[in-house]
Amino acid sequence: MKATETQPSFLGRISIRRNQVMSMEGNHEQELQDLDLFQKHVSDRFAALLSSPEDLPHEPLLSISWLRKLMDVFLCCEAEFKAVLITGRDPTQISKPPLDRLIPEFLERAVKVLDICNAVSSGVDSVRQCQKFAEIAVSALETKPMGDGQVKRARKALTSLLSAITSDDRDNNHFKSTERAWSFGRRVNQGGFRKDKPAGSFRSLSMVVAKNWSAAKQIQSMFSNLVAPRGAESTGLASPVYVMSVVMVFVMWALVAAIPCQERSGLSTHFQIPRQLTWAQSMIGLLEKIGEEWKKKEKKGSAGLLEEVQRMEKLGQSLIEFADGFHFPGEAEKLEDAATQVAELADICMRMEEGLVPLQQQIREVFHRVVRSRREVVELLENAGAVSQPME
Amino acid sequence: MANCEEEEHIFAAAQHILKALWANKHLGDDAKRTIAELECHLSAVFPTIERDEAVHAEVEERLKSAERKVMQWKANPSSIWDSGPTKPCEYLQAVNEIQSVMEILGGLSMNNISKRRELTRRAQCALQIAMSRLEEELYHIIVQHKQSFEPQYMSFRSHMVDAASNESFASVEDEIVDKASSDVTATELVQHTIDLVDPQVIPDIKAIACAMFASNYEKEFRETFIGIRKQALDEYLSSLKFEKVSIEDLMKLDWENLNSQIKIWLRAVEIFVRLYLASEKRFCGQILGEFDSVSSFCFAEISEASILCLLNFGEAVAMGPHRPEKLFRLLDMYEVVLDILPDIDELYSEETGFFIRLELHGLSMSLRDSAMVTLTEFEDLILSDASIQCFPQGGIHHLTRYVMNYISTLTVYSGILDCILKDQPVDGQSASPEIDSGQNSNDVSSSVLSPLAHRLRSLISALESNLTEKSKLYKDGSLGYIFLVNNIHYMVQKVKDSELRLLFGDEWIRKHNGKFMKHAMSYERATWSSIISILKDDGKANAKEKCKRFCNAFEEVYKSQTQWHIPNPQLREDLQISTSQNLVHAYRTFLGNSRDIGDKYIKYTPDDLGKMILDLFVGSPRSLNNSRRG
Repeated sequence: MKATETQPSFLGRISIRRNQVMSMEGNHEQELQDLDLFQKHVSDRFAALLSSPEDLPHEPLLSISWLRKLMDVFLCCEAEFKAVLITGRDPTQISKPPLDRLIPEFLERAVKVLDICNAVSSGVDSVRQCQKFAEIAVSALETKPMGDGQVKRARKALTSLLSAITSDDRDNNHFKSTERAWSFGRRVNQGGFRKDKPAGSFRSLSMVVAKNWSAAKQIQSMFSNLVAPRGAESTGLASPVYVMSVVMVFVMWALVAAIPCQERSGLSTHFQIPRQLTWAQSMIGLLEKIGEEWKKKEKKGSAGLLEEVQRMEKLGQSLIEFADGFHFPGEAEKLEDAATQVAELADICMRMEEGLVPLQQQIREVFHRVVRSRREVVELLENAGAVSQPME
Repeated sequence: MANCEEEEHIFAAAQHILKALWANKHLGDDAKRTIAELECHLSAVFPTIERDEAVHAEVEERLKSAERKVMQWKANPSSIWDSGPTKPCEYLQAVNEIQSVMEILGGLSMNNISKRRELTRRAQCALQIAMSRLEEELYHIIVQHKQSFEPQYMSFRSHMVDAASNESFASVEDEIVDKASSDVTATELVQHTIDLVDPQVIPDIKAIACAMFASNYEKEFRETFIGIRKQALDEYLSSLKFEKVSIEDLMKLDWENLNSQIKIWLRAVEIFVRLYLASEKRFCGQILGEFDSVSSFCFAEISEASILCLLNFGEAVAMGPHRPEKLFRLLDMYEVVLDILPDIDELYSEETGFFIRLELHGLSMSLRDSAMVTLTEFEDLILSDASIQCFPQGGIHHLTRYVMNYISTLTVYSGILDCILKDQPVDGQSASPEIDSGQNSNDVSSSVLSPLAHRLRSLISALESNLTEKSKLYKDGSLGYIFLVNNIHYMVQKVKDSELRLLFGDEWIRKHNGKFMKHAMSYERATWSSIISILKDDGKANAKEKCKRFCNAFEEVYKSQTQWHIPNPQLREDLQISTSQNLVHAYRTFLGNSRDIGDKYIKYTPDDLGKMILDLFVGSPRSLNNSRRG
């Protein structure tokens, strides 16, 4: 699903219609139609994400390519939402209650999305580093015939890989790694030249957002004031704002769950979607699946639920076992098993090589898109005179 | 292959037999000769095997000595590079030995495969240990020899102007804005780089790089190298006081704090890019120059995260609320970004840095757009700044002060603003067309005005139209005129005394001089015409009556207008003199013509009147008793 696939007709229709009916008062019917369509599209898109068809075995839940689809879905929903909310809109409509409260809340959420994008993007960096370690292991273990030197080389890379994967979010923060690095330097004089070397000189997840910033808390606060519109509100503009907010929180939540990110404890408990929302059924399904996975993993402390990283972790552990039991020239059966695993690891590396940078670019695109939309909404509000920025 | 192995077996078996024969101590000379002949024969039959044996022996010897060296250091906890000048050289030689051993082993089509395999295996093992060690040494050397700097001595741009920093309309004073800084031209950071790592160890690092690359351990080298340098750059960035703040928190920051954060950012960006990134790039080149693409790849990986932090700050500021004071900072930021664009384009000229280049160009546009929105909103704000009450004493409104100080500060940015504005679509937004159209029609100079001058004139027009509205709030129309006189005079003074003069031209000044003088005349007419006309009244009233009414009317004016205020002494005096000329002259003439009025009916002499007029517009109410002949 490309970001442009369903837009033109829908967006075009909205803008044409708005231009036609701008002058008329009673376009409520059409508003309702727009809203229905928007909800339907959101629902369809997430249904496609949930089904993850068998004929596409490379796109399991929370894999890189799945996340890339998720980003596309977000961008599509976002574009439609903007069309519903802004295109041809009379500014006074969004400055009336309850929108005078809902829109500013929405804008606050948008700002939080930006910080999460930055944090996650740096998380992708650390996944890329895992990829590099894995590549070293692969190339070492692909050498024929396999000797202890290459096996040891692979083992070292795999140890770095695992320590990168399993180290807890909090351990990855900037300060600790700095301390470690420098104490290594200082201790040289005491003869402890190698003792303090950080495991595999692991490129740490540097603190990108701010000290004490927590992805989990951000998700929580994005969600905390999110209430489904009721009664008359549910047929007005409050509804698309709510729908888009849920999409926003869900997508950010899934990203944070999948990709290493600053401070994520308690992530699974922070976010629920009301069951009665028909358009959100697939999202609820995804939320449950991912939530369960998260609970299983959280105790162990892991780099996240990214499918490739999880498989990498398993393969890494198994290949370390192999390396530890290796005696030249090695048993044929074990060598064969190892070769299969190495091939699998190589395959993951390839998929990371193909997908991580584009994923990072998509995350950046989401960032810029949210910035732009936010600006447009703010301008609309300013036109309505609702947001005054007093000089005092 | 099978043949080879068979031959090897025969050769080995034959040698075995010969060895056993030699072992017999009771051999006769004949027997010895026969065995020697056999040996010769054997060599003749299997010449390559013989030679390989020799090579094996030699290779094994070399490998053994290299292994010894590697293993010896494996047990030693101290750094090789800290252990005297010869040690690293010896170690690298050992690595070199292992490499050439592996090369020989790989190049020879040796017959003794198992032997070759065994030697290769041993060599790989030793190489792995050595590489692992070199990785640690590399880490140690770079971390140990990282150099830090006090960036204070570094010159950097500073035409930061504090316009009305955190002041509101109500309290802004001239001085706050007037401290426009010394010089607009940024003190260009000379394109010089510094040594981020002690240059003495560069050959060492380079040697390690070469050894690791030659041994196919390039990836390990890269990971370690990038990891350390990335962290180092992060530390340099913190040393520039740049703090990572979430976009959310930045948006919530009050202006004062944001302003100081921006100033830190401005300095940090320039120094970071010009000095640290340039130096880092050079350092990467020094180490990895021979591996060109690796060098630029490493540089991009090392620097991307830090530069992205700086970019995100910029995006956040561009996104935040458009308060007028922010315009100056936005322009500062825009200018810095434009300044470093060529540097960034150069630093990231390869494909690996495309993303950064793109982002920086994007940021420059965000900042530019944000600045333009701020300017437009400022204009709207001027137009819409509504007052409910009239400004006391008809003095200079703080809006006037604020706007004039604001725009005269903007002239500091005239270069960059002209650049931005000339690309902006001209929309019909220029404020208050009534004032504009009235004057531009016969203003020859307006066609050659710079884009900024156009925009500033439009701002001033907005101000004028707002002031006109405000002047209508006065119940006493005369005070409304005084208010306009004061404010327009202030505007003219501000223009004359600043760079605005060049932007607006003498024509504008003349016109506005004319404007406030017209308002002054209107004032005189509104206040004094009716009073003077009392004296001229041809009606039935006699001179005594006229005189009395005149004096009473004058007293009324005196009571109220001594409270009015014209802060500029020159302007005040001008208006007093002009009033005096009219009024005292008319009074004197009247008295001259009406000699029948007795002295006791003449409450004030013309001289009294003249003196009392000097009390007008001083802004402090006087009672008549005090002032009279006091």
